[in-house]
Amino acid sequence: MGTFKLTTVEEFEAATNRLLETGKKVGADGWQYRVANQTPHCKFGEQGICCRICAMGPCRITPKAPRGICGCDAHGIVARNYLKFTAGGAATHSDHGREICHTLYCTSPDGNYKVKDPEKLIRIAKEWGVETEGKDIYDLAHEMAVLGMGEYGKVFGTQNFLKRAPQHTQEIWEREEIAPRAIDREVSCSLHMAHMGCSSEPKALIRQSLRAGLSDGWGGSMAGTEFSDVLFGTPKPIDTEANLGVMVAENVNIVVHGHDPSLSEMICEYADDPEMIAYAKEMGAKGITVSGVCCTSNEVAMRRGIPMAGNFLQQENVVLTGACEAIVVDVQCIFPALGPLSKCFHTKFITTSPIAQMPDSDFIRFSAENAGENAKLIVKTAIENFKNRKPELVYIPDMKQKATVGYSVEAIVKTLDGVTNSQVDVTGTTKPLIECITSGVIRGAVAMVGCNNPKVRPDTAHIELMKKLIANDIIIVASGCSAQAAARAGLMSKEAKDLCGAGLKRVCELADIPPVLHMGSCVDISRMMILVATLAKDSGLNISQLPVVGCAPEWMSEKAVSIGNYVVATGIDTFLGVDPYVSGSDQVAELLTSGIRDWVEASYTVEKDIEKLGDRMIERIEEKRAAIGI
Amino acid sequence: MTLFDVVFSGNDAAYGLAEGAIDAAIEKYGADKAVSFPDTAYSLPCYYAVTGTKVNTLGDLKNALGVVKTLMTREQRLNDAFMSGVATALCAEFLEVLKYVDNPTPYEAPCAGHLPDAAIRELGVPLVTGDIPGVAVILGAAPTAEEGVELVKSYQAQGILVTLVGGIIDQCVEMGYKTGANVRVIPLGKDVTAVVHAVSVAVRAALIFGNIQAGDAAGLMKYTMERVPAFVNAFAPLDPVIVAAGAGAIALGFPVITNEETFRVPKSLIVQKDISKFNATSLEARDIKIKVTKIDIPVAFASAFEGEIIRRG
Ligand code: SF4
Ligand code: SF4
Repeated sequence: MGTFKLTTVEEFEAATNRLLETGKKVGADGWQYRVANQTPHCKFGEQGICCRICAMGPCRITPKAPRGICGCDAHGIVARNYLKFTAGGAATHSDHGREICHTLYCTSPDGNYKVKDPEKLIRIAKEWGVETEGKDIYDLAHEMAVLGMGEYGKVFGTQNFLKRAPQHTQEIWEREEIAPRAIDREVSCSLHMAHMGCSSEPKALIRQSLRAGLSDGWGGSMAGTEFSDVLFGTPKPIDTEANLGVMVAENVNIVVHGHDPSLSEMICEYADDPEMIAYAKEMGAKGITVSGVCCTSNEVAMRRGIPMAGNFLQQENVVLTGACEAIVVDVQCIFPALGPLSKCFHTKFITTSPIAQMPDSDFIRFSAENAGENAKLIVKTAIENFKNRKPELVYIPDMKQKATVGYSVEAIVKTLDGVTNSQVDVTGTTKPLIECITSGVIRGAVAMVGCNNPKVRPDTAHIELMKKLIANDIIIVASGCSAQAAARAGLMSKEAKDLCGAGLKRVCELADIPPVLHMGSCVDISRMMILVATLAKDSGLNISQLPVVGCAPEWMSEKAVSIGNYVVATGIDTFLGVDPYVSGSDQVAELLTSGIRDWVEASYTVEKDIEKLGDRMIERIEEKRAAIGI
Repeated sequence: MTLFDVVFSGNDAAYGLAEGAIDAAIEKYGADKAVSFPDTAYSLPCYYAVTGTKVNTLGDLKNALGVVKTLMTREQRLNDAFMSGVATALCAEFLEVLKYVDNPTPYEAPCAGHLPDAAIRELGVPLVTGDIPGVAVILGAAPTAEEGVELVKSYQAQGILVTLVGGIIDQCVEMGYKTGANVRVIPLGKDVTAVVHAVSVAVRAALIFGNIQAGDAAGLMKYTMERVPAFVNAFAPLDPVIVAAGAGAIALGFPVITNEETFRVPKSLIVQKDISKFNATSLEARDIKIKVTKIDIPVAFASAFEGEIIRRG
């Protein structure tokens, strides 16, 4: 057998500790210290029974004070908080999707942004009933961009992309009145409902949470993904590397962090520009290395094979290497701590979006209209900063793993075509995967998503669960920081097949895939929705019947809650390793973990014991198999 | 029933038969009675390759059955199905070797039964060079004798080594189709357990040419998967024992193509209703590319005919 070995969490931690020593030297703190300062957390907040949505409060629920001043009980308060949490997440993804639509609107044949996948654009246009025949592709792009932005504020009707769901799912959404209307409307409706003196009925609030979530998954996120593919190309399998060791000491290191590929794509373009590379050499570097953190990293890894430096809780480590010339960010999941931290080093912390402005940063306002010149300016700024490095502070942990990424739905179908037999099979479907599942060779699939959260030993839950699942012949599709945890550990290397059960191993060998498939960023969880919808259609089963579950073991953001809601509302049982602040209401907890099953055929399972969380997923998958007799 | 349940039940049935037969033989001959296949240095080749242990007596055989039992785990996982498939093949080998107790020639023409080491050495070189581009194991009776013989003929014309088990043998006889080692169409036996003589060829190829150590089951399966271009054509109806044996074949890397409506597994268990497409389906499933250029002459042309004896008249 080869020399393949996973990188362990202990090794991750040893590297982090070494970096924190550098931090100490220069007086930097890290999230590790801030967590200690914040511990223990306020119990009222943790249970979701603190309300401060009006100025009569803040109110909190205790046995002695079972109601807030307005008379709202724990159930109403918890459910309102939950809905607001969801709305925050849905707003975030959706605004990202809107930005992408705007970028699409800015495309031109000789501009910064072009249409790289015209076929996909035409396909979506046809789905939306737009005439494509004889139309210039850029005219079509602009027309689709306007329609796409229209989805955010459409006056009548529901989201266009809902039609992609199987009939049965669409009927559930209609019946339960959770089919999302205009995206922005669902967000503001949520905020309206959660205002003082509006809804305090848990069922109504949770129902709206599902609808707001769906406006994200089948609206904003899906627009973000689909139009990003049109703009930057639909991902195909590509080799890359992951973990801090991808940074190169001799090069100018630019780290892209955040979410929107409109920025990171442009940075990558200019970092590849011979003129910029020559400039870097002039400044004493050997070249330019772009690497990524969080979702924007996933985006450029999927499309360009740009290496992934790390996930959410690694973002400070990138700076602590002392070798980061610039960390360029846009929106979402960016620690404001990066500002003060960068000041301890030569690193330039460059914020670019009016949405995410932070103290102690260099703000270079980036927009689709001025993308080229600003991306160039950012790259130049980074290059010119190379000389300010303090060599005595440079330490890049020598750790990285190979990863094969780029598994869009299109790429998965194409991969599956590779195991069909032209004498008996049709191509272009998910049927080979369904056959592997129905025969039992693969037991099922788990969508592993979500963040890091210091409440869970970082990355352990992701990695341990994945190891357990693949050993049980369960294939993983991953996105977001979960995907990066997998990549850093080595689970996206094709060699990781040796950690699988015999069934998944055989599939990995025949299809030439790693056992954990990287499907992209957080908005790309919409790809997973399209994949299950296709599996349901190709198998004739309902989505809720498929032996497929979702899991966010280390989630932390509002976006993750929004994601959870649309995954559940799509009919997929979802497993959480961190409690969503609902333990203060048995009614809300009951609704989320069982009651909503009557509405959408799926619900949540919350289990903080990660070992048990894995067991319960496997159990659920086996139950689903038994129910359909496979 | 799940696919794995079918495999498990077939395995249980084969195990039951083997156990009964071994007990009966011990009853009759005593545990010290010698058992062996003729003309092989590998004892019971399949059992030897998998476990590294040689079987010399009926008593050993009884112990071997105990070892086989340990492979028969019953989780709903492919590994368990694979191991049960291997266990089924081993039970078949036990049943077959019992036929040789006190009977050096349990098989009569046209059936060959166990093939001697010499035959494998002889086939090994053309297998390595690709002159024999594949090994077909045809199992059961085709819907009609014509279709069965057509299929055999199509493989033979491509230089593929064909082994026959079960009803297809009678179908060849019925159609007056010439078989034998010299034309590389080898009827093995009419019982389904005779399929193990084909497995034995692949396994000994791994030991002889692949330098696989006996007992290295994982290395064995890797070798057969990567290096022995065999595949199985199993005609409907498939009983659980055949399905279990099929799992063993798939474990070794050999795809099974059948005309029975059953579970499908890409590249491994393929349902092809049209017998005339068995050939193309099988070759594609096993990634076999035919080297021999097709020459447009009225008789089948391939290296399989090199050993043919032309009789007068
Ligand atoms: S809405 Fe009610 S519970 Fe909330 S802060 Fe105001 S009075 Fe208190
Ligand atoms: S997975 Fe969570 S932490 Fe990571 S980028 Fe997405 S929302 Fe942010």
